[in-house]
Amino acid sequence: MSYLFKIVAFASALASFPAHAENYVVDVNGIVCQFCSLGVAKKVSKLPFVDRSQFNNGVLVEAEEQKVVFAVKPGATMDRQALFAAIEDGGYDPIEVYELLPDGERRAWSP
Amino acid sequence: MKPFALAALLLTSAVAHAHQPVMDMAPRWDGGYGFQTRVERFDDVTTTWLEGVYTWDRSVRATFKLPYHDGDLGDLVLGVPLKRYFNQGAKTGNWSFTPQVQLPTGEDGEWDAGASFSYSTETSSFYQLYDLYTWGDRTGLDVNLGLAFPGRGSGLYTLWDVSLLASDEGDRVQTGPVFVYFRKNVIFRAEYKHLVYERNSDWDGGFVNVGLGFVF
Repeated sequence: MSYLFKIVAFASALASFPAHAENYVVDVNGIVCQFCSLGVAKKVSKLPFVDRSQFNNGVLVEAEEQKVVFAVKPGATMDRQALFAAIEDGGYDPIEVYELLPDGERRAWSP
Repeated sequence: MKPFALAALLLTSAVAHAHQPVMDMAPRWDGGYGFQTRVERFDDVTTTWLEGVYTWDRSVRATFKLPYHDGDLGDLVLGVPLKRYFNQGAKTGNWSFTPQVQLPTGEDGEWDAGASFSYSTETSSFYQLYDLYTWGDRTGLDVNLGLAFPGRGSGLYTLWDVSLLASDEGDRVQTGPVFVYFRKNVIFRAEYKHLVYERNSDWDGGFVNVGLGFVF
């Protein structure tokens, strides 16, 4: 009975713990400079599903590797079409978007 | 304005017209805009420029340049850079055609027009710009080549500039180093070009340019 109580208490604590934001990474052709890519960070951070409490307003541009990492709000759905449009408005050409796992590995994203 | 000062201002303006308006690198995003102020000195004449840019989308920008010299505002220059960008993996670049018109807003001002055609590419470690321009009787070529040192949220470019000018007032070749430093949305540029060749003129000394810009 005591074990059962502890399991229920642990599960309850997990349920009440705030969920972590999901991180995604998108490969972008041509991003080689932080200054030139300010527009990408600006446009992506304004997307409604981006968690602006993470990184720099929700976005981390890694120009050395031509990729953009962004955080998605807990419970929100990433909109690939809006993401790609934002990157194009920022002056660059997106290639593909992946889920970013906690260990840094990528996983193919599907809606 | 004294005739000599006016002539010198026109000649320094030729240098200013040569480059892509405000900044070649940014803003390349829809709705982006920026301002830049520069102070340049050549042939004992100092000119301060206020420049601005607005980007509709990556292929169309509008720019203005307003010189200030010796207590007087000079002629306003408006430009419409038309760009075709290409993004290829770890490299980006653009072809650009920029028609420009000069409005007679200054004392002794006059209408004038020019155009430039340029090509630039950059990687995370290398930058190059070639800019061929014509303005009135002046034709020139500017070349910037150099290395980039990226950081997180900041970066440094160390470039070498070669400028060639052919005009009715004389011909010249200037060359020298360019340093560009940016942090977030602020960019600083300083350059010195030494006059290594001149013909049919009495130009003297080097060209110095220092500028600070902001993009949003």
